[in-house]
Amino acid sequence: MVSGSAPRSSVLGFYLHVPFCVQRCHYCSFNTAPLEAGQMDPYLRALHGELDVLGGLSWAGDVTIATVFLGGGTPSLLEPEALAAILDDLRARWRLADGAEVTVECNPESVTRERLARYRAAGVTRVSLGVQALDDTVLKTLGRRHDARGARAAFDAAREAGYDDVSVDVMYGLPGLAVDAWVSDVERVLAWDPDHVSAYALTLDGGSPWGAGGVENLPAEDDVVAQYWALTRAAAARGFEHYEISNYARPGHRARHNLGYWRAGEYLAAGPGACGFVGDVRYGNIKPLTRWRAAVDAGTLPVETSERLTPRQRLAERLILGLRTSDGVPAAWLAERTASEPALARRIDEWERAGHLVADGARVRLMESGFILSDALFVDLL
Amino acid sequence: MSLARNRNFSIVAHIDHGKSTLADRLLALTGTMDAKKAVDQVLDSMDLERERGITIKAHTVRLLYRAKDGHEYTLNLIDTPGHVDFSYEVSRALAACEGAVLIVDAAQGIEAQTLANFYLASDAGLTIIPVINKIDLPAADVDGTREQIHDTLDLDGTEALAISAKHGTGVPEVLEAIVARIPPPSGDADAPLKALVFDSFYDSYQGVVIYVRLKDGHVRPGTKILLMSNGRTYDVAQVGVFSPDMRPVAELSAGQVGYITAAIKRVADAKVGDTITEAARPTAEPFPGYRDAKPMVFAGLYPIEDTDYEALRDALEKLRLNDPAFSYEPETSLALGYGFRCGFLGMLHMEIVQERLEREFNLSLIVTAPSVQYRVLTTAGEVLDIDNPSRLPTPDRIEQMEEPYVHSSVYVPTEFMTAIYKLAQEKRGEHKSLEYIGKRVHIRFDFPLSEIVVDFYDKLKSISKGYASFDYDFADFRASELVKLDILLNGDPVDALSTIVHRDKAYERGKALVEKLRGVIPRQLYEVAIQAAIGSRVIARETVKAMGKNVTAKCYGGDITRKRKLLEKQKEGKKRMKQVGRVEVPQEAFLTVLKT
Ligand SMILES: Nc1nc2c(ncn2[C@@H]2O[C@H](COP(=O)(O)OP(=O)(O)O)[C@@H](O)[C@H]2O)c(=O)[nH]1
Ligand SMILES: [Mg+2]
Repeated sequence: MVSGSAPRSSVLGFYLHVPFCVQRCHYCSFNTAPLEAGQMDPYLRALHGELDVLGGLSWAGDVTIATVFLGGGTPSLLEPEALAAILDDLRARWRLADGAEVTVECNPESVTRERLARYRAAGVTRVSLGVQALDDTVLKTLGRRHDARGARAAFDAAREAGYDDVSVDVMYGLPGLAVDAWVSDVERVLAWDPDHVSAYALTLDGGSPWGAGGVENLPAEDDVVAQYWALTRAAAARGFEHYEISNYARPGHRARHNLGYWRAGEYLAAGPGACGFVGDVRYGNIKPLTRWRAAVDAGTLPVETSERLTPRQRLAERLILGLRTSDGVPAAWLAERTASEPALARRIDEWERAGHLVADGARVRLMESGFILSDALFVDLL
Repeated sequence: MSLARNRNFSIVAHIDHGKSTLADRLLALTGTMDAKKAVDQVLDSMDLERERGITIKAHTVRLLYRAKDGHEYTLNLIDTPGHVDFSYEVSRALAACEGAVLIVDAAQGIEAQTLANFYLASDAGLTIIPVINKIDLPAADVDGTREQIHDTLDLDGTEALAISAKHGTGVPEVLEAIVARIPPPSGDADAPLKALVFDSFYDSYQGVVIYVRLKDGHVRPGTKILLMSNGRTYDVAQVGVFSPDMRPVAELSAGQVGYITAAIKRVADAKVGDTITEAARPTAEPFPGYRDAKPMVFAGLYPIEDTDYEALRDALEKLRLNDPAFSYEPETSLALGYGFRCGFLGMLHMEIVQERLEREFNLSLIVTAPSVQYRVLTTAGEVLDIDNPSRLPTPDRIEQMEEPYVHSSVYVPTEFMTAIYKLAQEKRGEHKSLEYIGKRVHIRFDFPLSEIVVDFYDKLKSISKGYASFDYDFADFRASELVKLDILLNGDPVDALSTIVHRDKAYERGKALVEKLRGVIPRQLYEVAIQAAIGSRVIARETVKAMGKNVTAKCYGGDITRKRKLLEKQKEGKKRMKQVGRVEVPQEAFLTVLKT
């Protein structure tokens, strides 16, 4: 299904998945594999093999890659040569746009100024730093391997290496995280003067150690809400735009790759468990490392699941993705969705009346008070 | 054919004492079916029956057994429903037998349903064969159980057979005892046909299949029969026996058990308890005890999706074909839209109908709080039957209200008497009589029906550790101080949540209701005020706070599909919500009213 589906757009994103982690964080349910000796090389060979297969698709020469995102796992476990080889391989097969955004997710403990500088030399333009928290006790509870000082050092290293797009990931709603502790964490992080902040409320996922085994000391819902508002206020005071439910950027520093997701844009994907979207087809790669490798070795696309979106699903996706952003969606899209469902139109009116949603002329968008409730709306919009 | 080699019996027991297991053993032993098939307990054939472990409909199987005396006997096993809602049906099924095997679990001893069934069987004049089952269990106390059988049932404990239905130990002796102890049916094959209808079901090819026990006379294809309760006549198409599938035979005669088909369109035309006779030569007296199964409890059934209304109507029509005890008629609710007011024998019956609608017809339903039928005398002098609280006239138009009462019997070991009296008082019971029977008492109370339909039986069982048995019969309507208790969501009354309650209980119930509702109504965009009110007077209030946060983790690595699937799952859950005004009310909210 994937190979038979040509992209609609000529400008695509590219997601590369690096599955390795030294250890799994307690809240994480993503597709990761422990980094064991001798695993990296076969992985890299297979990744190049996958790029080979993808690059061989008939339309590969017609598209431009505007953003690249190396996510994980822990992409910063890649040696700079290895990362350079991947990007070179990419450029050899696709046209990489001028000024393309190339992001690498980094764990503070695995980066040095030198490593980041060499990443930059290889073509990386943006670093997304997984800080998560600044309280060392909280960090330990999360199963993270760095401490607050290490996080700060990593941030400075990125700056020193010359990056003017550094994003910091933080989490709230964490066990043992009091509202005032969070407020001071936020102030400290913002004082570093990052270009971009992603802040996620902890969600307990079945696949994560916490989701499976449970966790104590979670803050009350009201406290989590208070933490959300503390961040939105502090970020606004520092001139950040709250441009997506969980993302804040200084003007001109929005994450372009992620914006692609939220605009229901297309993207290619490589690596175990990586997800792509081409034409009307959303697909996901085989997750287990060895099976993924075997599929690539056999010269096939290592796709495990794929789904061709119906026009109705496409519309729903565009709505629920677009409404995640402060740009919202064209009012006409929403009108199309509610046309057949008067009850839904009435519910959307309620969101407006409550001040969570605004329709200003041609576009409809969620307010900050709506962001934090947004799943309730998205469920209806499906 | 000589009746001397016929035995009609049933097996009765407290739930889980081994009725189905023993029945399967008997079937296997008599070669009625091969042992492998017997693994699936055949008698409980409805999925629902197997899951709940309750027999809902009577079933019948004919076993051919060569006894030690060298003769072959025809044994008709008539299985009976296992719940008070169906005690009338049980009594009719037992009336078709001469004997009953009464199972007692050797580890549990006699329990409430053992007793209740024992009384039904002995009232029907049956010969009772006590059987102590599960003797293979380490906790089995065979001697103690024998003593109990003697002390509580006044049967000869030494005559009880000790068996393991599971392993087959002692089961051949059960067959021998059935032959030796249960008398053969008596009846006059030359007298006019007289057959008792003890069950029936609808078959789309043959019409209604009637289970009959012939007392006198005989019936064969072509006989013109008369149903005595309604005077209808039919030509018999087929007669047969169950072995265990339906097998046509040339004739059924006095003493035999089998089935009749006669192109009857509706189960309601051949009701349990009715007497079938020959149109040309009717019997002088029908079987006593026939009564029209009357619904006692009423509730509204509404599709969650308005578009399912037609499907619900068709499904109700189909169910009704098979279940004359159940009634329905269209009604509308301001809160819920178009639906049906349905009548049931009791709560179990209601749950069964609801489950069948959801399972067999794939419908999502809201069931409103059950109500009994009240009688209202208006100031204008009319008499109204009200089975839907929202139809109750305003207080200024009501001269007097009456509610249905039942006569009831409770059998319980003396040690639980105090607790039973306390429960009866809570439930507005009026004590009528008390009688000691050995270590037990038989207490008669009159209760308002509304007090016992919902959870009385469960409460009774729990306070008596399962030993109390309970039975009731409609008595009459009695004047009562009743009020309508309304539930308001954000100030708007929700008709489907209204109930009629006794004035003395209104406050307590209103408070309990709003508390429970607060627990089941999810947080919404706005704060939701839940109020209980009598007329314009609010007697209790709770609020559901506005939703604080409803957002989940990021889309890791562009995995939009996963995110969408998660939302889709939530949406599935939301399908069980009904939009009532501005408030989304989950199905459980309506159940809450039922269970509070
Ligand atoms: N150990 C033991 N278990 C039994 C025996 N007879 C029945 N059971 C078990 O008791 C449970 C209830 O039996 P069932 O026949 O369904 O009881 P019913 O509710 O009276 O029909 C089942 O798990 C049976 O396997 C027996 O003789 N010995
Ligand atoms: Mg059973």
